[in-house]
Amino acid sequence: MTGLSFPFRVVLVANRGEIAVRIIRTLQKLGLQSAVVYHEVDARSPAVALADHAIEISGRTPVSSYLDGDQIIAAALSVAAGAIHPGYGFLSENAAFARVVEAAGLVFIGPSADVIELMGDKIRARNFVAHNGFPVAPSAVEEDDPATFLDRARAVGVPLVVKPSAGGGGKGMRIVRDLAELDDAVVQARGEGQRYFGDGRLYAERFVERPRHIEVQILGDSLGNVVHLFERECSVQRRFQKIIEETPSPALSPDVRKKICETAAGIARAAGYRNAGTVEFIYGRGEFYFLEMNTRLQVEHPVTEMTTGLDLVAEQLAVAAGHPLAFGQDDVRSNGHAIETRLYAEAPERNFAPTTGKVLALEYPQGDGVRVDSGIGQGQVITTAFDPILAKIVVHGATRTEAIARACSAIDNLMLLGCETNAAFLRRILGDDGFKAGEVHTGYLDEHPDIALGAAPDENVERRLLALAALLTRPVRDAAHAVPALHASLGSWRN
Amino acid sequence: MRHTFNIDGKTHALWLSRSSEGYRLELAGGWSVPVALVEKRKGEARLIVDGRSEPVVYVVDGDLVHVHLGGQSYAVRYIDPLAALSGVDGAAGHNVARAPMPGVVLSVRVSVGERVAAGTVVAIIESMKLETAIRASQDGIVEKIHVREGESFDRDTALVTLSQEGS
Repeated sequence: MTGLSFPFRVVLVANRGEIAVRIIRTLQKLGLQSAVVYHEVDARSPAVALADHAIEISGRTPVSSYLDGDQIIAAALSVAAGAIHPGYGFLSENAAFARVVEAAGLVFIGPSADVIELMGDKIRARNFVAHNGFPVAPSAVEEDDPATFLDRARAVGVPLVVKPSAGGGGKGMRIVRDLAELDDAVVQARGEGQRYFGDGRLYAERFVERPRHIEVQILGDSLGNVVHLFERECSVQRRFQKIIEETPSPALSPDVRKKICETAAGIARAAGYRNAGTVEFIYGRGEFYFLEMNTRLQVEHPVTEMTTGLDLVAEQLAVAAGHPLAFGQDDVRSNGHAIETRLYAEAPERNFAPTTGKVLALEYPQGDGVRVDSGIGQGQVITTAFDPILAKIVVHGATRTEAIARACSAIDNLMLLGCETNAAFLRRILGDDGFKAGEVHTGYLDEHPDIALGAAPDENVERRLLALAALLTRPVRDAAHAVPALHASLGSWRN
Repeated sequence: MRHTFNIDGKTHALWLSRSSEGYRLELAGGWSVPVALVEKRKGEARLIVDGRSEPVVYVVDGDLVHVHLGGQSYAVRYIDPLAALSGVDGAAGHNVARAPMPGVVLSVRVSVGERVAAGTVVAIIESMKLETAIRASQDGIVEKIHVREGESFDRDTALVTLSQEGS
């Protein structure tokens, strides 16, 4: 990778937190200059300290500043940046932003705006994938021909899920396991669709029992070469939010693994995909269906880097610079097992309520096979203004068992004081028998609420906490000193 | 003197006294043992409870003691008796509606001096993209409103203090 030439000397990172730090590190490694935009609440963040240039942006809310494309492009031009890396979230999958970046004469580090647009429209993306002969869940859309909807839904077969077309978040969803229940399910789903979305149109789709989330990392260059970098499994989720990701997936046989990875590469090739992207699938009982394609770097990309030895941000930059991929599919190897755990500012024990505070003490685990991507530093205030992700603890081991053991000890050696986190919850998942056996599906944590709740601290721990707090609290110590010590009062007549 | 601390929403009473060896801790129920803290450097020490020694890392931040013990982090809150008496905290005659989680005040539904019944909505907050109604836990008179509309707050922030009639 070193020695590559770039048509840009300065790259602006239009993001914050751990991903901004992670991108800046690769820019430094490649000898490129880094610039980052920041809202004032992030003024003390590590990304701002690390970048060669930091440009303050503002907005009605902190989030809205990072969504303000005009300010970001102006910031890039002000430091003579030649390219913008959007990271994930914010403007990373905004086709209009990709277009204005290019219109301003800058390189957008990502796919073409047309591909972002195609994959951003879930129905268009699904039709595109199906028309190119790749598997999507069998389904029936009422709107296509309302008169035949029920017949077409029956033809999909059970188990079946009936959902409002306008829906989201599981509202109005009905699972049908016996076709005799279909008529009732349609009436109920339509009623709830009307109530929640003011829209009674429905669609029916094959329901995957105990679904697992499998995704495949893709890399394409501007010459049409596409490779896959194997899969990641992200089934440990709560309310559609990923918590732990790993590669390889313990769910896949070598055959299915090959098939799913080649399918993803095929979809990317058909779309003329350039840069890094991820094709997500639902997997269950040996079958997989296309879910969506994310046209950006994923939060969980480090597990792929750990097993393949590649630097995905460096690859993104090389592709954006117009270079062909430096390797073919056969050169990509996956070694060992990698696991990422996401450290969030939230309390799983209290229904995942967000937590806030100030980072008063911070120590990350270190050692062989341990990587920490962190966006926070000592003294930083954690607010609810952004997503709750604080850091990612990523480990690598020769086997899955070794990787799990390493992840456990990494969490044990993590210390953050001043803001409550989900660390103890991560540790409980890693120690769960179902997780250790590789049997987690996306509904697993909902089925096992005890993992989120945890146990109250035991009496011994409570006693030690109270002892420490008493000894450290000035009014408590002062009160103890206000009363003569026992030996002082006894001492006089003992001597 | 009796002191009150809070761990994870649970209140604990304790007594600390001096003894020939250093300090002695007594908890409700009569459990009483010698305790000591041997500081290694600022914020790092060995905690000795009843002869058992264990490394701890801690930061004191106002009434909160943040502790890392046995691979896990905890926060222990000291309930200041003076603050409690002045009505900032839940002492006799006062009742404070606190934020169950961090968020933003959408609206305050009561005004100072207003008589409210248990269950009355005193404020609406937004947290986790959801609106939550904060209700009075008992009958009383609104004594103080601690937040303004649009203001953001941390967990456990006092939102509204009620005083009970006759007290």
